Amino acid sequence: MIALRRLVLHALAASLFVSGCATANTFVVLLPEEGGAASAVIVGNDSQRAVLDKPYSTATVDTRGGVETKTITAEEANRMFADALAAQPPQPISFTLYFETNSLEVTPSSRPALEALFAEVAKRQAVEVQVTGHTDRVGSEADNDRLSLQRAEAVRTMLIQRGINSNFVRAVGRGEREPLIPTPDEQAEPRNRRVEVIVR
Amino acid sequence: MRFFSQIVPAAIFAALAFSADSGALEIGQIKNTSGQVFLLRNNQQQPAKPGDIVEEADTIITGANGSFGVTLIDSTRISAGPNSRIELKQFRFNPATQEGESLTQLHSGTLAIVSGQIAKRSPDAMKVQTPTTILGVRGTRFAVKLEE
Repeated sequence: MIALRRLVLHALAASLFVSGCATANTFVVLLPEEGGAASAVIVGNDSQRAVLDKPYSTATVDTRGGVETKTITAEEANRMFADALAAQPPQPISFTLYFETNSLEVTPSSRPALEALFAEVAKRQAVEVQVTGHTDRVGSEADNDRLSLQRAEAVRTMLIQRGINSNFVRAVGRGEREPLIPTPDEQAEPRNRRVEVIVR
Repeated sequence: MRFFSQIVPAAIFAALAFSADSGALEIGQIKNTSGQVFLLRNNQQQPAKPGDIVEEADTIITGANGSFGVTLIDSTRISAGPNSRIELKQFRFNPATQEGESLTQLHSGTLAIVSGQIAKRSPDAMKVQTPTTILGVRGTRFAVKLEE
């Protein structure tokens, strides 16, 4: 009963954690986004909380739960977290490949993206890939579930043929239920006949 | 017991999501290591290296000159500096729907995080716990340090 043992360990760890060891203050700093999207970290619980939503805003939480906020410079943040920031893994990259009607063939215009995918996978250390297939709304839902998975499996197979460990490529099919472009049923839409690939 | 209700679904979810592959509760992969880095699983500690799989409830530990980076299957990226102890306490993610929940605990040291799909999909689903507080992550990049 691994699950049960894990549960007990969790409960034990939680109780140990609650009963002692709060000897260190917690220091949190919000860093600028890579993509510039809006972001925030909520520090603490309802009674003592701070919302960090500006780059380089910080919060220090003491051992009694008291929260103090301020702002530091980019240089200070980069110095304090130099080692952790240097170890940050590369940003995952997404690719979208389009397919011919009712087919497992990538369209000619998606060939460059396919080559770019192969190059990215070859370049990365300890790579892992998530492949998700989709269809347009022509045909039954069951057929499209099958077709979308076959499209994803086709891409997975090409990656494995190029040397990636099969344990690190996962393929799923989402059928017609997640169109990029919403359409009425039975309408052909080339932009929905696609496989989305995330390289981590 | 709040933990019972959270962990059982997590384990079932992870098992379902990956049954097609190895069957393990894989939640991510170590991408890089430097200096001394150890993976603690089921009370067994062993050296960690790039490519190693991480599972829910694993703890990653760095020595005085150690650092590592790990990418989880929701694209969350976690890295840590020297003298750190990071526990991937709870992690549940469905790659098809992109929904999930995670709780990461910093026991000591320094941590930098770029959040992934879990935080993006649902703003309160990703949390980081420290000995003095809990952080709710609203889709972002941030760093945490314990000041001994």
